Amino acid sequence: MKEKNLSKWTILLAAICMLTLPAQALSGEVYKLGLSLAITGPTSDAGNPYSKGVEDYFSYVNDTKMLGDDKIECMIRDDQYKNDVTKRNFEDFLDQGIVFYLNYSTGSTLALKKDFEEEQIPVLPASFHAGNLVDSNYIFLPIASYSAQMIGLTEYVVKNHKGGTPKVAMFIHPSAFGRGPVEDVKKAVAAGLDVEIIEVVEHGKDLDNTAMLKRLSGKGVQYVLSHTVQSPVATMLKDASSLGLVASSFGEEGKITFLGAHYTGGNDLVALAGDSAENFYWTTSYIVTSEPGEGTDLQLALATKYNRDEKAANSHNYANGMMVAQVATEVIKRAKSKGKEINKETLYEELLGMNGDNAFSPKTTVGDVTFSETDHAGVDTLQLYVVKDNKFMSEGSPFIPEYTSKIE
Amino acid sequence: MSYFFQLVVSGIVVGSIYALSALGFVLIYKSSRVLNIAHGQIIAAGAFITYALTVWVGIPIYIAFGMSMVITFFLAMSVERIFLRRLIGEPIISVIMVTIGLMSILDGLIYLTPFGTENFSFPPYLPTTPITIGGVSISWTQLVGVIITFSMIAGFSWFFKKSTIGISMRAVSDDQMASMAIGISVPKVFGLAWAMAGLSAAAAGGIIGNITGLNFDTLHAFGIVVFPVVILGGLDSIQGAVVAGIIMGLIQQFASGYLDGNWGLNGTGEVMPYIILLIILLFKPHGLFGIHEIERV
Repeated sequence: MKEKNLSKWTILLAAICMLTLPAQALSGEVYKLGLSLAITGPTSDAGNPYSKGVEDYFSYVNDTKMLGDDKIECMIRDDQYKNDVTKRNFEDFLDQGIVFYLNYSTGSTLALKKDFEEEQIPVLPASFHAGNLVDSNYIFLPIASYSAQMIGLTEYVVKNHKGGTPKVAMFIHPSAFGRGPVEDVKKAVAAGLDVEIIEVVEHGKDLDNTAMLKRLSGKGVQYVLSHTVQSPVATMLKDASSLGLVASSFGEEGKITFLGAHYTGGNDLVALAGDSAENFYWTTSYIVTSEPGEGTDLQLALATKYNRDEKAANSHNYANGMMVAQVATEVIKRAKSKGKEINKETLYEELLGMNGDNAFSPKTTVGDVTFSETDHAGVDTLQLYVVKDNKFMSEGSPFIPEYTSKIE
Repeated sequence: MSYFFQLVVSGIVVGSIYALSALGFVLIYKSSRVLNIAHGQIIAAGAFITYALTVWVGIPIYIAFGMSMVITFFLAMSVERIFLRRLIGEPIISVIMVTIGLMSILDGLIYLTPFGTENFSFPPYLPTTPITIGGVSISWTQLVGVIITFSMIAGFSWFFKKSTIGISMRAVSDDQMASMAIGISVPKVFGLAWAMAGLSAAAAGGIIGNITGLNFDTLHAFGIVVFPVVILGGLDSIQGAVVAGIIMGLIQQFASGYLDGNWGLNGTGEVMPYIILLIILLFKPHGLFGIHEIERV
């Protein structure tokens, strides 16, 4: 009788244990990631599609069982471009046990650099500021840095300018984000890149850029290299257009050719500047939907699957968000395939090993993602685009700026 | 010399748009002594309503522009009726805190729409070739902006000087108690002041949006950018807003045109208006046209 009672209790206990086992133990692991970014507030025109790209790609990973029964749970929080909110979000993510962190702005990436070092957590920000990598082991830039982009544009000017030394001006955002590449471009010039930097202009909330444009034109500036967001570039292009200063072909004498880095361009610039954006030259490592390919097909299919509107679907910042999610997923996949436990350390190791034959091709970029102990910039390759009939079209082949390595 | 005149023209264009943006502050302060911190959000809302009516509803832009002014007229009037009327007689700091709260609410509401995070531009409706006379250029967008600005300012000046309601509003501004004693409804005057500020904000939003494109951050920032104009003009003077706006516009253009890029200077167009503002306020603490009230005990 006693034995019968004991076995009853054993069965009951076993049943309770089965019921209370976490669902995840039965259906696979859940890997937690965090993303803090500006979904509202300044720069949310970039942050909003970026967050959608991240969210959709991780949903796709889970829905298609890309990681088998395991799932990715990426917590996405709005920080309104405020560093203190980003820090609070990051700390909360840590409390919840994230194994990988996606950050956004230059300011918060620089501000949290020490925290990332202390926590030893791999971080992919949306900021491509080269300074993020100084004294940091855990920050990885998804694509070529702003410095590389601006140097790449300057090299293009030098190679395609007819006549003597081209005169350029830099039009930058009044922040750490904007100022970042200025010194590196100057270093490239000192290292032999043959341009004359006439002026570096930090813009404000300008309603009219006539004075600046006339001044630059008067000083013989033929190229304006912009590193800021789309809105001030759009205003400048409209003013230049109304003053008849926009070059109709690259380097047209007596006129100004406008060029810009990643966050100056894309469909939003065309939306803001309209026809004045014609002949604007832009560089990024992402493939845009006006140049269809395997990556953009995936991007558009993903956006359709998750009911995104056409604007988000065609945004290069949607591709940007998608791509960092692709990289995070890839390192988890690789660690899993090697039978490693998924944690901060193993994902960091996998990022460092992403090179040579193990380079990763997300298809959304013009080159492979490569990281190593000494290389924390993902896609080194850039593509130049030019606006023709309100669309960004490829100009030449993908390239790697030569002077980036000369100034290191 | 054409360079100098180009800067003058650009300065007047920018200055007049500043004046129109500042007008909303002045109209409200003039009648109720309230500084509306949410004015930038109303400017943005006006621009977005114009866009929505034109592009989404398909109404011609000139009509949409007018309709947007009417809608913001009633929107601002409702804001005053719902949030601010109860605060008549309360400490001024409470009223300012309410307008700060209002700013957050409007921010939140706009972020719920595509306008909060996406960029748009009005469909082209003006010739793109600028008007050039003697080497001095002005775009049609700027010219139309200036014409609308001066028409509105002239209209408001006439309204305050000649119309019965305008005179009532000035009376309320001078002395609320005395105004009530002669039968003027002070709450109605406050409501009308807010409504007119909404109307001018929509006009400013439409003009700024046409120049910069429709970006929420850029548009609502003009609520703050025009602060020096409001202070310099004297807070409660329409004439002051116009003169201060044009002074600020000219200073910006001249500083940017003659100082920037020389002697290692940069961004003086941004900072010079504030330096001039400080200097003028040293000598005229109530602004150029502000009323110096003397209290006798």
